[in-house]
Amino acid sequence: MLIQILVTGAVLLFVIPNLFSSYKKGNLTLLGFLTWSFFWTVGLLVIWIEDLIGVIGHFLGVTRSIDALIYLSIVFLLYSYINQKIKINEINREITQLTRKLALKDLDKVEKREDERK
Amino acid sequence: MKTDKKIYIVLPAFGEEKIIKSVIEDIKNQGYRNIIVVDDGSKDHTHLKAKETGIIVAQHVINRGKGAATQTGIDAALLLGAEIVVTMDSDGQHNPKEIEKLIEPLINDKVDVVIGSRMLNGKEMPKARKFMNVMANIITYVFFGIYVSDSQSGFRAYTRNALKGVTTHLDRYEFESEMLGHIKKQRIKEVPIKVIYSDHSYNKYKGIKNFSPQGLLNGIAMVVRLIENSLFK
Repeated sequence: MLIQILVTGAVLLFVIPNLFSSYKKGNLTLLGFLTWSFFWTVGLLVIWIEDLIGVIGHFLGVTRSIDALIYLSIVFLLYSYINQKIKINEINREITQLTRKLALKDLDKVEKREDERK
Repeated sequence: MKTDKKIYIVLPAFGEEKIIKSVIEDIKNQGYRNIIVVDDGSKDHTHLKAKETGIIVAQHVINRGKGAATQTGIDAALLLGAEIVVTMDSDGQHNPKEIEKLIEPLINDKVDVVIGSRMLNGKEMPKARKFMNVMANIITYVFFGIYVSDSQSGFRAYTRNALKGVTTHLDRYEFESEMLGHIKKQRIKEVPIKVIYSDHSYNKYKGIKNFSPQGLLNGIAMVVRLIENSLFK
């Protein structure tokens, strides 16, 4: 019971307000805010209603409820990984483009000098 | 070799302050005046040493990898009106006397790209290094559909036309393979080159002469990045 109260308190006092403030600051889209809020709400429901994971497992055709939880976690982790990977790749590419642009910035001067030399 | 064509030599460099000047002077001694060094965010004085020789120096403010630096150098050369672009390593591994071998087929308009291959005359190359190169060639073929004898060679020469519209995205050593993928429909020739395994280059790439766990890990990392690139373009 104690762990259930602690986790619920942490989610309600820190996680959800943090998500809301991220959304307000524009660091999180509305869809992102709703998705994460849904995820945490489901997490809380699973903690408090012990049979819920069994119901989900039965719905998905998994006999052991813990298997359903593991499968769902894997899908979620994979989704998060791919999402983050795409973002990191995008940022990496932009950093390289910016670095290269800065490096080529002074080339105009060189070009003019070359023209003058001719 | 006498030609009216505007030839640019591109040297991507990272942490080469000890050797960059002599590499540039050696190239100059072969009669090439248009040299571009791209300092890839070195922590030492590579760009200052290069500047002292009076050549063109572009500087990456942070390290982005050999591929990114080479692409910057190629872009710079094309902006300055290069008709032929030669890329080579800046650690003294490539012999400037062999530049002529690379550009001759381009000047005679026989081909569009010439690759300096360490494998065509690879008697001196250690077997472990040969094995790693063959693996890299196979990987290049799998991901980019082109097989050459030395897919990782950075000693290459391109005509302006061959590079037109080519933009690479891979920043690190996979660049050489990606570039091959872009130019695979061009007329390509491979010429044998000799690599100078100096103390400097050996100390820099420890284990390049022989098989090493680090070399293997680098190879695995390269494959992972290529797989990621094909999945998350």
